[in-house]
Amino acid sequence: MIIPFIKGLATTLRHVFTKPITLQYPEEKRPVAPRWRGHPELTVNEDGRRRCVACTLCMVVCPSNAIKGIVAAEGSEHEKYPVAFQIDLTRCIFCGLCQEACPKAAIKLNNLYELAQYDKNLLYLDIDRATQKKSELRMADWL
Amino acid sequence: MVNLTIDGRAIQAPKGKTVLEVADANGIFIPRLCYHPALKPIGACRICVVEVKPGPPRPLPACATVVNEGMEVVTNSPRVEEIRKELMKLVLINHALECPICDKGGECELQDLTHALAVDKVDLEAVKLAPNHDYESLFVERHPDRCVTCGRCIHVCRDHVGAMAINFMQRGYFTELGSGVLPLDCEFCGSCIDICPVGALINKLWKYRARAWEVDKTESVCPFCGGGCVYELHTKDDRILRVRNEESILLCSKGRFGFPVVEAPDRLKTPLIKENGGFREASWDEALDLVASKFQEIAASDAGAKAIYGIGSARATNEANYLFQKFFRQGLGTNQIDNPGRYTYIRALRGLGTVFGPPEVSGVEQSTALPQPYQSPLTPGAEAKGSGFPFVLGHFDDLPKADLALVLGADVTPEMPPLGWKLLRALDNENFRLVLANPRPTKFDRYAHLSLRYKPGTERILLSGIFKAFFAAHADYAPALSVKGLEEFKETFKKVTLKDVASKTGVDEALIKETAALLAQAQAPAIICGTELLAQDKGEQNAVALADLFLLVGKPGTPGSAVYPVAEKNNSRGVCEVGVLPGRLPGYVPIPEDARGMTLPEMLDKLEAGDPAAPQAVYMLGGDLLRALPHRSRTEKLLKKVPFLVVQDAFLTDTAKLAQVVLPVAVHAEQEGSFISSDGTLGVLPAVLSANGVRPDWQIIGQLGEKMGYKLGASHPKQVFRELAQNMPLWAGLGPKASGPVMPGEVSGTFVPFEADLSLPGRRPHTLIVGKVLNHNGSYTTHAPDGTLKLVPRAELSLNPEDAKSLGLAAGDTAKVVSSQGEISVPVVLSPEMPPGVVFLPEHFAEPPVHLLTLNSNLVRVTIQKG
Repeated sequence: MIIPFIKGLATTLRHVFTKPITLQYPEEKRPVAPRWRGHPELTVNEDGRRRCVACTLCMVVCPSNAIKGIVAAEGSEHEKYPVAFQIDLTRCIFCGLCQEACPKAAIKLNNLYELAQYDKNLLYLDIDRATQKKSELRMADWL
Repeated sequence: MVNLTIDGRAIQAPKGKTVLEVADANGIFIPRLCYHPALKPIGACRICVVEVKPGPPRPLPACATVVNEGMEVVTNSPRVEEIRKELMKLVLINHALECPICDKGGECELQDLTHALAVDKVDLEAVKLAPNHDYESLFVERHPDRCVTCGRCIHVCRDHVGAMAINFMQRGYFTELGSGVLPLDCEFCGSCIDICPVGALINKLWKYRARAWEVDKTESVCPFCGGGCVYELHTKDDRILRVRNEESILLCSKGRFGFPVVEAPDRLKTPLIKENGGFREASWDEALDLVASKFQEIAASDAGAKAIYGIGSARATNEANYLFQKFFRQGLGTNQIDNPGRYTYIRALRGLGTVFGPPEVSGVEQSTALPQPYQSPLTPGAEAKGSGFPFVLGHFDDLPKADLALVLGADVTPEMPPLGWKLLRALDNENFRLVLANPRPTKFDRYAHLSLRYKPGTERILLSGIFKAFFAAHADYAPALSVKGLEEFKETFKKVTLKDVASKTGVDEALIKETAALLAQAQAPAIICGTELLAQDKGEQNAVALADLFLLVGKPGTPGSAVYPVAEKNNSRGVCEVGVLPGRLPGYVPIPEDARGMTLPEMLDKLEAGDPAAPQAVYMLGGDLLRALPHRSRTEKLLKKVPFLVVQDAFLTDTAKLAQVVLPVAVHAEQEGSFISSDGTLGVLPAVLSANGVRPDWQIIGQLGEKMGYKLGASHPKQVFRELAQNMPLWAGLGPKASGPVMPGEVSGTFVPFEADLSLPGRRPHTLIVGKVLNHNGSYTTHAPDGTLKLVPRAELSLNPEDAKSLGLAAGDTAKVVSSQGEISVPVVLSPEMPPGVVFLPEHFAEPPVHLLTLNSNLVRVTIQKG
């Protein structure tokens, strides 16, 4: 009669002293796998300039039309760079094809996954908001 | 026909075709790089090699090997595939891998070929060459590191454009495209850009603005000169990004780089009404109501509807011009209309009409085919035939079949580039003879077999000399046509002596005799005349003289033997054919003498005289009369006298500034319609861009008609075209890209004597020719700062260096040019090819207004001073 009760208490006590498997989200965040596909963003060089040359291949390859409005301009050294670039996160399906198509490693999926917003407009990224800001968001295998 | 096999397939092919052409026609793909269908085979890349039996043991280039009876061709043996791959690797050694930013990416033939041949890596190495990029040249950017040295650009520039501006420099691996000078100094036609298989030549207007796959392509027709080139507009986001001619590649600088005029900053956006000496913006309804009420007021007054005068436009579509004349004829019930071609192109038509008679067409029947857009509902029957002057006007495509071209008073390339390209094709024929007569050297002098450098204004004297020499040497020459009045005509040259002609014109007697001899021998002579000849005060007499000459030696049944008068603007011919003439209905149907309206010069004379018949209101469909007509100060004074002037234009031109109401119109890509080119080809214009508040001409005329209670039937250009073509037997069988008139012509004519006098009075030391430059057409192109205005930004006085020296002028100095009519200041440019005593000014620009100097002709005697 008492034995099953003690067994149950023993299980409970064992769990009191073992490491918990739940994560105290949102205070605690789970580190994601290196190949995690977050949302696409434009990467920058060491000098802070975007790598993008506005070749529009990501726009062409994007299956859900999440990338649009790429406008190119000519720089002083005759280089091509984007002056407008829109990423529509409401359409993005996080497939990573843009990253694969990019010849300059200029667009990458980062490790962000908390993308829900109360205001939809926040999910339409213009060129400045689509550009990588936090260096810690870079994954280890990034260029 | 010859029988051969390609890859085991038995094929019949026409004689003289190359293996590549036959393979293409039969759906067999042979990889190629330097071959282009518009060019002769170059044979530079050797990618198209095939095995040919019987033949040499080595593979042969398919592009340059002509098919033979019994030939066995193998296009895909392991040996040739290996050779192709190896050749591709050699091409790719030094090719810059810039595909992401190269504007050719996506339509690059090298990209396609690399995929087709599955070249995945290049295991060869060579010294990297430092490329000499050319970023400085206007409109064209050169990237030698992308060049595959196929030579297409050089061939198109030399053989098809005749500019010879680029060539290869160095040899072997170090070969690169060079121009001798930097920045590039050429015609800037840009044909090299579009023929380049890779991105070695880039169009600067197109650079970085879109990727090749993003654009919408619409076939349209060029809105500048009368050549009527059909091209493709490449648009994205309601903007034109570039234009291309996919078929022959050729376009001139205006066609290729002139399109920014659509986005010109000074385009009018809203209607303007003049109040207290200034313009205020108005709504469409307000402006049209004002015009309608004013017109109704005048029509109801004592002066009557006759006091409203209409001036059509050679820029507007056939449909707009047709509705315009309908507005006057059916609405107001008068024939008071004309078009500014009166000062140039109409003179040629009148001259030809005097000799060959007005057009008459018979045997035309209603078409039974389903109605197609812009297809005439009439069709020539089996018995159809026509006569009259339209049947001596030539088609450009036939010109290469001529065996002699007499070019008189035309600087062919600036006036109409497509005609120049066709002349170059004619020169391929070794029996072809080019006789060039012009007061100043032109581009074609280098190709001419005979160059007659006559003194300005002596064209008719020169022609009388040619006639004299002709009749002297060939007294019993029988014209190929049925002619009247030949004997009387011969009589008129009785007193002409060649010695006299030679001294008056400055042309050697022997040259005149030789010209006459060539004309007598010619089996298919063509005559080309330009606006420099027609814009003279006696331009019509010049045209009569040329028509007489064609009547004497012409063979209108033979392809190529025709008269080619240069129509200055895109629809110069169309505006006349649809009847914007005071004495002719659509299709040149004559109006009884007493019902005819005033011509444009008569109207101006009436205004000057203060005649009661002078118009109370003038309705202009466009065109800057002040800039285009001679004697600007007079035109300005007279137009100011018009109580109510309505101008429909895309820009606030000097003429529009005099108007009481200005109505902004849609330009070529914003409206639908059709044009008739100088050679009678119907070009169909689709509406590609949104009009953004401005309206197309046909719509404005329709709405104005509606407000005045007229039923003009202006529902849609297609509908208007149908109605108009229904009334025009001359256009029977005409459709998009077809050249009219399509029925066979039976041409006969009467010799009409012409006045062989000098039309250049005055005593001032220099003769000024007001003419055209290559990079502008009318004043239209001068409104686009991003377009060809970059190439020729201002008017410059071309002057012989000797003359300049004696006047104390150097290049860049400002000269004061004084004529009996006025004076202007203009910068000087020295051009050694100008004959002494002759100076040249382009007419296109607002500043300086060159027509302040002229009186009634494009020639005027002037005094030049240091200013």
